[in-house]
Amino acid sequence: MSALLSVQGLTVRAGGKTLVSNLSFSIGSGERMGLIGESGSGKSMTAMAVTGLLPANISVTGSIVLDGEEVVGAQDKHLNRLRGVATAVVFQEPLTALDPLMKIGKQIAEPVRRRLAREMGQAPRVAVDREVLDLLDKVALPQPQRIANAYPHEVSGGQRQRVAIAMALACRPKLLIADEPTTALDVTTQAEILKLLDGLVRETGMALLFISHDLPVVAEVVQRVMVLRDGIALEEGAVVDVFANPSHDYTQTLVDAARMFDEALGRTG
Amino acid sequence: MMLNLQNVNFGYSRHRKVLTDVSFNIRAGASVGLVGESGSGKTTLLRLLLGLERPSSGTIRFGDEVLDPADGAFMRRYRRSVQPVFQDPYSSLDPRQKVLDIIAEPLQSLRIVGPRKDAVAQALEAVGLPLDAMQRYPHEFSGGQRQRIAIARAIVARPEIILADEAVSALDLSTRIRIVELFKTLSATLTLVFVSHDLGVVASLCEEMVILENGQVVESGQTRDILAAPQHPYTQRLLASIPRMPA
Amino acid sequence: MTSLDLSTDRPARRHSLSLSIGLALVGLNVVVAILTLFWTPYDPLNASGGRLEAPSLLHWVGTDRLGRDYLTQIVIGARTALIVGTGAVAIGASIGVTLGILAAFATRLLDDVMAATLDILIAFPTLLLAMLVVAASDSASLWSAILALGLAISAIVARLTRILAKRVLRQDYIIASRTSGTSWLGVVVRHVLPNIWPTLSVNFALQFGLAVIAEASLSYLGLGAPPPNASWGRLLQEAQGTVYTAPVGAIAPGIALVALVIGMNLLADGLRDVGDPTRGRTR
Ligand SMILES: Nc1ncnc2c1ncn2[C@@H]1O[C@H](COP(=O)(O)OP(=O)(O)OP(=O)(O)O)[C@@H](O)[C@H]1O
Ligand SMILES: Nc1ncnc2c1ncn2[C@@H]1O[C@H](COP(=O)(O)OP(=O)(O)OP(=O)(O)O)[C@@H](O)[C@H]1O
Ligand SMILES: [Mg+2]
Ligand SMILES: [Mg+2]
Repeated sequence: MSALLSVQGLTVRAGGKTLVSNLSFSIGSGERMGLIGESGSGKSMTAMAVTGLLPANISVTGSIVLDGEEVVGAQDKHLNRLRGVATAVVFQEPLTALDPLMKIGKQIAEPVRRRLAREMGQAPRVAVDREVLDLLDKVALPQPQRIANAYPHEVSGGQRQRVAIAMALACRPKLLIADEPTTALDVTTQAEILKLLDGLVRETGMALLFISHDLPVVAEVVQRVMVLRDGIALEEGAVVDVFANPSHDYTQTLVDAARMFDEALGRTG
Repeated sequence: MMLNLQNVNFGYSRHRKVLTDVSFNIRAGASVGLVGESGSGKTTLLRLLLGLERPSSGTIRFGDEVLDPADGAFMRRYRRSVQPVFQDPYSSLDPRQKVLDIIAEPLQSLRIVGPRKDAVAQALEAVGLPLDAMQRYPHEFSGGQRQRIAIARAIVARPEIILADEAVSALDLSTRIRIVELFKTLSATLTLVFVSHDLGVVASLCEEMVILENGQVVESGQTRDILAAPQHPYTQRLLASIPRMPA
Repeated sequence: MTSLDLSTDRPARRHSLSLSIGLALVGLNVVVAILTLFWTPYDPLNASGGRLEAPSLLHWVGTDRLGRDYLTQIVIGARTALIVGTGAVAIGASIGVTLGILAAFATRLLDDVMAATLDILIAFPTLLLAMLVVAASDSASLWSAILALGLAISAIVARLTRILAKRVLRQDYIIASRTSGTSWLGVVVRHVLPNIWPTLSVNFALQFGLAVIAEASLSYLGLGAPPPNASWGRLLQEAQGTVYTAPVGAIAPGIALVALVIGMNLLADGLRDVGDPTRGRTR
């Protein structure tokens, strides 16, 4: 069986600098993969390249096959069909993904309507509205009705992040790319979101590319993990193995730092 | 007493209260962690402390003056003392300004004399960004790098108080340690209000903490004491649900 | 494995092409218009040949009913068109941007009132609005036409500015700027205007083209600048009666008009991305 996403020799360059070099990995349906590395290591760049969202002045070489289609060099028209059906993204900064002048409910309704129209040939308003509220409820938002009627700047940072997650889930993608989706969430809310993602992977066979710098969270969510530094993949493997026996010093420092914070809380891992 | 909140109540609309009877003190030079569930009112509290909103009842004092957003002369003085770091780093940087101009804005607006470029360079260095960042635009940086630009802007004018809203949550651990160390050095001379849902960071940075639930202070005091023996069920739940490194 | 390079800057080249064609067309117009201040092929007011002569080496586009050189009329028309376009956009921009920004800052109620008023104003066609203004001022002159068109444009610009500015005002960098001690005026100058400028400038270029067309229409209807201000609209109207005997008289000003308007649109298209540091960032 061929993988849902297969990346071969991906290289991303901007203005003479190489931001990601020669990256290869693949994700199958129902698989969960994590991408870790410090700030500026090229995690978001990789995610954007997979969706073909990088601007024209950034060069992408290599091959990215998503749901049987080549992304590198593809026409935008073509990619638009892939986005939202094959894949959806939760962006690192939720505010950039939301229109400041449109009510949240209306923004989520758009992908819902598109999907219903595609799947059932019609999208009755009641069905769309019901599904929007249902999605808001699923991402652990209190008072879904109020949030649906609010503008993005009228809800809290963590609530906005959950709205962005709801919007990505509205597409029911085969592959969900989540770029630091829980940074703005407190631990209790974060736990609920992680449980939701876990459930979706189990029930619908959705694949997950999970980007995070939070090692304990990564350990909880994914099976496989890839460590990036300066755009180069240092190691890849089962998350338990990588965290227990890092084969690279850099990974060791990441793991040590994570344990140090655990200790600051007066506990050992 | 640097900042003092007394029975502060606030709601964005009349029907829904966001903060209820919030009272606490922040000593000069203290670093206070503000912890709470998403939507519990942390950012709202910072907005009040910044003078962007006015309490519907209760008072906030800065030293022995009442913080009144309508008092222009007071606000001008107050703005010199307080700098915020916002939760969403991308939206807090003007996409059309170069990093140099972004970081220099407080110096310019507060009419702080002295070589601007040097001050900006110092601030960039403190947050661990290269000096050539000055001539670039925000979109050329990663999420964590943008967050550090926002922190550089907050420290450049050497304020007395920094109100940081999830200032390190977009950062990986090694960068986070660096920024936490930076805040620690700064907090020797600075008052720091540090909003975070990351108890690990609060534990390593703040001697005191205030825990908000649903707009109410449910627990406050020495961080060490609270972590060792959380009194309120919410705090206990919060501590219990932190993901840990696998053994 | 494919190895296609996405950076083949195809969109960038398309923009620079439309930018250069736009610049060429508009630039030609400007050069010609300035030239007419010092020199025209013939005296625009007096006959220099027979009536309705066909194009010849002496008169490249022939002569009009009074025997005046037609090319001279057209190049003076270029000047009129530029004055009208620039004047109308300048008036429309200064009133419109100011109103739009005020509306963006205004309280909910005042903002709603302004938005509704603008919507109603915009519902009237620009030309109709301009005709009303011209009719209200007792004498038709170039300046009343410019003023009329400027006012009509200002409503469109105000509505656009309001939406754009509102979007910017909701960003955190505005609050960051305020808490850095920047005044509201400073916020507008430093953050709001630079961020709305790219979209606005494109709109100005489009409005310029529309103003030129509207002025031609006004002149065509006899509501534009009276003679001796040659206007392409009036040339078209005068050529109406002789369109079968001397078709050049109708075609030439038409081509000049279309060239300027298309040039301005291409320029607008090309300008969109120039000076935008986030150019190409698609998300
Ligand atoms: N448009 C651009 N032009 C040039 N360099 C860029 C551009 N966008 C990003 N970069 C650089 O690419 C590198 C990788 O960025 P990326 O956003 O992928 O980092 P990241 O791993 O997601 O980091 P973070 O955890 O901070 O979000 C960074 O060093 C950044 O400065
Ligand atoms: N401008 C606004 N208008 C109306 N309601 C608002 C507005 N801003 C925030 N709220 C609501 O007030 C409550 C508190 O929001 P606040 O932003 O203070 O939360 P927070 O503690 O910072 O949460 P987070 O950790 O998610 O950022 C939330 O329920 C939010 O939806
Ligand atoms: Mg990133
Ligand atoms: Mg917040």
